[in-house]
Amino acid sequence: MEQQFTLTSEMRDNRLIISTSGYVNNVGGEAIAKEFSRHFEKGTKEVIINLAQSKVVNSVGMSFLIEIIEQLHEANGKLIFTNLDPAVEKMLSIMGLFKFAGKEPTVEHAMKSFAHQK
Amino acid sequence: MAIKKRVSQDTLADQLSHQIESLQDGFRKLSKAATLTDLAVQFVGVVQGMFPGADIDLVYRPDKSVQWQKIIDSGAGDVEKFLALPSGQASSACSVDEISKRICMVQRLVDKSSIGVVLARKRPRTKNSDVDVVSLRLFIHLFDNAYQELLYRRNEKELIFSLNHRVLQLNSLIDTGIEVSRLDQNASPQQLALERAAALTNASKGVLRVTSGGHLKEEIYFPDGLLVQHTVSKTNRIASSFTFAENTYTFELFEKESRSGILPFEDTDQLLLDALARQVHASLENRYLHEQALEKQKFEQDMAVAAAIQKRILPTSLPVIKGYDVAGINIPSKSVGGDYYDCIPLRDGRYALVIADVAGKGVPAALLVSSLHAYLSAYLESTIPLAQLAQRLNKVIFRASTDDKFITAFVALLSPETGEIELLNAGHNPAYLLRNDGNVQEFRAAGLPLGMLDVDFPLKSERVTIGKGERLLLYTDGITEASDERDEFYDVHSPLREFFIHHKPDRAEVFIADLISDIKRFTGSAAQSDDITALYLQRTS
Repeated sequence: MEQQFTLTSEMRDNRLIISTSGYVNNVGGEAIAKEFSRHFEKGTKEVIINLAQSKVVNSVGMSFLIEIIEQLHEANGKLIFTNLDPAVEKMLSIMGLFKFAGKEPTVEHAMKSFAHQK
Repeated sequence: MAIKKRVSQDTLADQLSHQIESLQDGFRKLSKAATLTDLAVQFVGVVQGMFPGADIDLVYRPDKSVQWQKIIDSGAGDVEKFLALPSGQASSACSVDEISKRICMVQRLVDKSSIGVVLARKRPRTKNSDVDVVSLRLFIHLFDNAYQELLYRRNEKELIFSLNHRVLQLNSLIDTGIEVSRLDQNASPQQLALERAAALTNASKGVLRVTSGGHLKEEIYFPDGLLVQHTVSKTNRIASSFTFAENTYTFELFEKESRSGILPFEDTDQLLLDALARQVHASLENRYLHEQALEKQKFEQDMAVAAAIQKRILPTSLPVIKGYDVAGINIPSKSVGGDYYDCIPLRDGRYALVIADVAGKGVPAALLVSSLHAYLSAYLESTIPLAQLAQRLNKVIFRASTDDKFITAFVALLSPETGEIELLNAGHNPAYLLRNDGNVQEFRAAGLPLGMLDVDFPLKSERVTIGKGERLLLYTDGITEASDERDEFYDVHSPLREFFIHHKPDRAEVFIADLISDIKRFTGSAAQSDDITALYLQRTS
């Protein structure tokens, strides 16, 4: 069963990796957005969101993710989602998030994907 | 003069042309803004291009009831005291303060919100001309248009988001229906449905309670470990429940989330929750029916095995005994019990007439009957006394069976020439011997059933002689307890003993056939609940 929301983040090779656990709802989405903004303001434009421990996302949580994608898109940056549960992947796909964001099986794959784009 | 006038006209045309270009460029910049703040920043930048060095403050308020919110603060001053609201139906108001050299404008926007702009010239103070006022007014109109564009794009985005969300809800409803109907015993359809219902309705939390007779049997929370406040108001809660197998399942969702706070749930949220609850209900019913079908299948397989075992050990024909006529029958019930009968010729010329009934049904009962058949065949060859044979059988059956399994048995050893019969009843139904004078001799149980206890309890056999024309009937409780539609027993309404006394055909097999007909006539359309087994012997000479 889904736990209450927690978040960890790290910078690796100038890329922000946010890993979440629990329900990505208003609280979860806002926490992700805040963590993103903190790094975005300092110039971080490559972001990985690892949703391995988040199996449930609601549309309020998704609206925060869309905003992050839009901000990165405006700044010529990119977001890659990783470790997506099939149900979450389908939800994000239906909501059109993958038009401007990527998806990879793992954080390592996402790191390689960013490296290849350079 | 003419030349001077033309130069002046050219300058004015250039100025106007320059202003038009500035306005067009300004609109292009403003219309790209993604947020109100972004729009305000772009606006100030554009206006500063027209009024170099000016301080420009921009304030905004969503409606009249709230205070102005400062969005751009360039130090133009305490703007609120300079702002005059539009009067009547007017959409804008303007004031020019010649002392402080400020131009102040308020513009009512399309969604009833307003912006206020205060433009202050820096030193050296420059007098504001009418052209400046008109220019600022034009820029504010640009802001208004760009703001409409921003709202339009935002509404369009929200509409697309909303439509996508509806598609997501429908898709998820279908997917959840498929997932909860999977017959995977490890997955909980209730838990999955609760998660999906919360996510699709934007509920911040949810709980599923399973109650039975007012007692709480199970609670599942989403998110896990969450304690739902019971004080949540009714408007912030929706519920859906159903009852299955005496359990009431109640799904409750709490606090519909939005970016601007908690909202009341909508009708579609209730519809979604009801639909998911129905899916869980259907899934539980399907699981139950599937388990029933599996159990039935296993039962039928067991019965087929039991029937095969029983068929292998029951006699296909009985031996011909000179001076006697013997017939037997076994009609297994659907659930195949553990009835057994046989007439076994022994090496010393005697015959063993045996009937037995194992407690229980199915494969275990059939296997125990098979054991009895094997042990009995072996021991009967050893010519040991019948009581001792029964004690040995008791021990081996006890070891071969589980605690709830035992066998009632009746064994009759017939010496054909003398008509002497040695009888032993181990917990079985009484056997009847019909004498020529019409009396019936009963041989009741003289000991416990075989295999019930591991003790050498005393078993006593009896000896009788059967005369010409006399008849012996052995049977199992499948006959006496054959039930009609009202669940009443055959032996109560049509006593077997009376049928045995009054029905004396010439041939043993006719007696058996008539007995079965009489039982069927009694039971009618009621299903046969137990094996029907009988063994009949009559002395003909």
